[in-house]
Amino acid sequence: MMKKLFLLFLPLLLTACMKDDELWKKGPQPYGQSPSGVFIINEGNFMFENASLSYYDIKNRQVYNDVFFNANGMPLGDVAISMEIRDSLGYVVLNGSGRIYVIDIRSFELKGKITGFTSPRYLHFVNDKKAYVSDLYARAVSVVDPELQLITAGIDVNNNFPGFYQHPTEQMLQHGRFVFTNCWSFDNKVLVIDSELDRVVDSILVPAQPQSMVADRHGSLWVLSDGGFEGNPFAHERAALLRINADTYEVEESYLMGLDDMPSELGITGGGDTLYFLNRHVFRFVINSSGSPEVFIESPYGNQSSGGFYGLGIDPANSDIYVADAIDFVQAGIVYRFRPDGMPADTFRVGIIPGSFCFRY
Amino acid sequence: MPSARIIFFCILACLLLPAHAQPVEDSVFLLKTVEITGDRMFEKQSAGMKRSSIDTLVIIRGAHLDLADLLSENTPVFIKSLGRGALATASFRGTAPSHTTVRWNGMEINSPMNGMVDFSLIPVYLLDEVELKFGAASLGEGSGGMGGSINIGNTVDWENTFGVKYLQGIGSYRTFDEFLQVQAGNSRIQSKTRIYHNYSANDYTFVNRGIAEIDPVTGAVTNPVDTNSNAAFKRYGLLQEFYYRAGGRHVVSARWWIQEAERTIPRATSYEGPDHSNLNRQTDLDNRLSLDWKSHGRKHRMTLRTGYTGKKLNYWLKNHVGGLGEVPVIYSTGKQNSFLNKLSFDYHFRGDLSLEASLDADYHHVATRDTVAGAGYDKDRIANSLFVAVRKSFFGRLNLNIMLRQDLIDFRAVAPVPYIGLDYRPLPGKAWVVRTHIARNYHYPSLNDLYWEPGGNPDLQAEKGHSAELGTEYSHSFGSHLLFAGATGFYSRIRDWIIWLPDYKGYWIPLNISLVETKGLEAEIRVQGSLGKVGYRVAATYACTDSRNFGDPRVWGDESYGKQLVYVPRHSGNLMLNLSWHGFYATYRHNSYSERFTTSGNDFSRRDWLYPYFMNDLLAGKSFRVKKLDMAVEFTVYNLFDETYHTVLYRPMPGRNYLLTLMIRY
Repeated sequence: MMKKLFLLFLPLLLTACMKDDELWKKGPQPYGQSPSGVFIINEGNFMFENASLSYYDIKNRQVYNDVFFNANGMPLGDVAISMEIRDSLGYVVLNGSGRIYVIDIRSFELKGKITGFTSPRYLHFVNDKKAYVSDLYARAVSVVDPELQLITAGIDVNNNFPGFYQHPTEQMLQHGRFVFTNCWSFDNKVLVIDSELDRVVDSILVPAQPQSMVADRHGSLWVLSDGGFEGNPFAHERAALLRINADTYEVEESYLMGLDDMPSELGITGGGDTLYFLNRHVFRFVINSSGSPEVFIESPYGNQSSGGFYGLGIDPANSDIYVADAIDFVQAGIVYRFRPDGMPADTFRVGIIPGSFCFRY
Repeated sequence: MPSARIIFFCILACLLLPAHAQPVEDSVFLLKTVEITGDRMFEKQSAGMKRSSIDTLVIIRGAHLDLADLLSENTPVFIKSLGRGALATASFRGTAPSHTTVRWNGMEINSPMNGMVDFSLIPVYLLDEVELKFGAASLGEGSGGMGGSINIGNTVDWENTFGVKYLQGIGSYRTFDEFLQVQAGNSRIQSKTRIYHNYSANDYTFVNRGIAEIDPVTGAVTNPVDTNSNAAFKRYGLLQEFYYRAGGRHVVSARWWIQEAERTIPRATSYEGPDHSNLNRQTDLDNRLSLDWKSHGRKHRMTLRTGYTGKKLNYWLKNHVGGLGEVPVIYSTGKQNSFLNKLSFDYHFRGDLSLEASLDADYHHVATRDTVAGAGYDKDRIANSLFVAVRKSFFGRLNLNIMLRQDLIDFRAVAPVPYIGLDYRPLPGKAWVVRTHIARNYHYPSLNDLYWEPGGNPDLQAEKGHSAELGTEYSHSFGSHLLFAGATGFYSRIRDWIIWLPDYKGYWIPLNISLVETKGLEAEIRVQGSLGKVGYRVAATYACTDSRNFGDPRVWGDESYGKQLVYVPRHSGNLMLNLSWHGFYATYRHNSYSERFTTSGNDFSRRDWLYPYFMNDLLAGKSFRVKKLDMAVEFTVYNLFDETYHTVLYRPMPGRNYLLTLMIRY
């Protein structure tokens, strides 16, 4: 809907001309969606409040952008980082807005919200009545009651480490009663939280800046550390991919990368046997194979120092690979969909800075 | 907000006071404008240059504004403002904020850190003149102004003996402005002191579209009415001027301007975190000193200037952490010290031929540090500039201006910058000029671009541009009326435009990545005069600016190629109507911009697109004399039609609001 209004010197007595109200109306809803699809969580630019949610229908290969805005007539918020689905409800974590929006995953309508977070990152359900929310700046993991949609407690992760703001908490994985969370920004730990006591009980030392982690079919923890960068006052070491025993916390395998590598977005197939991650290109590693991670899909940016892939999602049902490209971070991004053998299957445009994926079945 | 009833009675009281005389300002300034315009349009020193000054009366009446408001209401310069009292940057002819150079009494005040000027930090009250030089016309003073330059300055009134002026403003959202000026002197020596204090709680209310209140019973979703909290700003300072005139040939000026500003950047409107998180404050302490000696003889003019600009910029962002209190996430300090020196000499061989030469020697030192991230840089730069210009006038009909500037940065020569300009007067004796120029210009990367940690890129090249312009101006007086009209077309091509892009390493780096082409048309018209006892003034400007990115697309799918740059409106304009009668005056102001895009691909979803902007203000005032005192009362209504709008994505702006100002002068 292109509105090109141009005002020549029409003087005087114009009544209200800026049609702000028209922006806040509901928009067209997607119809005839097939049951399976993937949400693309578009971060948007910090403080611009232009985060958005896109929905891609896997079977019909159709993308719908701004599904939240169109369903609710209001914007999603500022910097959407992640989304979790449980019992037909989607929980979208808005890092810049300090809240989690609860939406219906079919109609995209807003059903509730949990507010009061400083800088929330990821949500993890311990059970139906308890969930943890990690945070970048609060130095605490929030404990929430998802039914009451309230924060009930906080798990202190304050480190008192001089000179750096620790611990920030990111993704969370549960193994038995313990929840592991990686501390990425200016940090080098994975914390272990006892989910029955709601307390940090241990920590695992890993290479600097553990950015993401997954659990494999054997229950082992895989942690991807980016090692920092030149000029980072905390650390600059070689990036690494580690396999950690989730019971003994010992490092069982490690693959070192270069000093200038900045790998991110570790993902795993639904079967828990193949890892993928971004390191300018898309890398793949089959667990229990000999050898090391290799380039699987090359980035079209070649050796340009900037740009590159930003987000990665693996379809748990059919192992399709979705790669998000933010281009210059100030325009609509692109998602490339590949089959597990690396053949391109689709390409579609989404919102600004597509960062993560959440599959709906 | 002061009670409407009180304001009404104040205005009524003032209107009923007998007007003793026409205020001094109107008639004096009307006369001056008529005398100057014709000759000033055709000076060979400015052949090929488009210049325009903001009317002195507008500057005086706009004393309580900041320079951002003054520019957006009266010039084609586009101001992008984050809100009342918040960061405001300029885009002159579709270029970047660092491509507009700002000079205070001839001394450049752009920050060597980021190359920009925050126009919200310059109170109009401190300015006596504001002159714009468009595009390459700025080369006469320095390079880097690829969009143009804005020259603000202070002038001396040698007729003055003693005077005191006080201005008080009271406005909506707990806004209080105080200005005091004291001047004393004689025909040889003058002193003028201005001190000021501005404060606003800025706590307007708005419907917050970023927050959803969900009814627990029905599930219906509504938006709450919120207050713009954590958005207060405060600014206070002093400007002291001394002037000494010796023998009619030498003038020495000394000026000192010190100002402290404190403000917070409001959190995102959709923020629903705890009250004590993401609190921030920014303080800017600016200290500027300028000393110059101007001397002139029958054939020559010489200026020697030395100056200092210093800035301390502090910014912190804190969160409340349980058990620890407030912990900073960012605690950043920036210190800048610059010493600027200029020697210029202008010699007239004959009435129709002159030569100018000047030499600049500047030193900049910047040290920044973020104590939380542990990052920062400490760098300096020496900048020298050699300038030569030859100007010739042919038969009083054609002026030629050839200029050449050669800059050295840290004693390494940058490409020389030539300029050739022509003014042609088609009809002898008539104030009608056709002007054109062609020039090169360049802009050197700022210290942040080169050394910021992390991400600064010391391998950055200078941005380079070519520009050309063709325009015409006409001025005519008929009876007691004066008409001025002008139109100019411009074209500019800038290579190696610097933009910051995220690197795959997770931080942003600046790159010489773009080629930008800007072209457009500017038009203006001004009519003023009197119809019987009623004085009137009408001024309108319009600009059409096409500013597009033609850099190599970074990858298939990059949609930014050929698209309008973000936040640059294609059409912009403003209009002012002013009437005055027996000391009573009223002004209507209108300012509008066409749509603006916030994405490089010019996406126009409701999320990304800024609708066209139309803003209307109305003010009325009365000046009168009580014994030896000149007084004036003025009441302004901003956002006359109480429109809901935002100028930057989702930053809501205030509705209709008011300001009452009282001025007393002895």
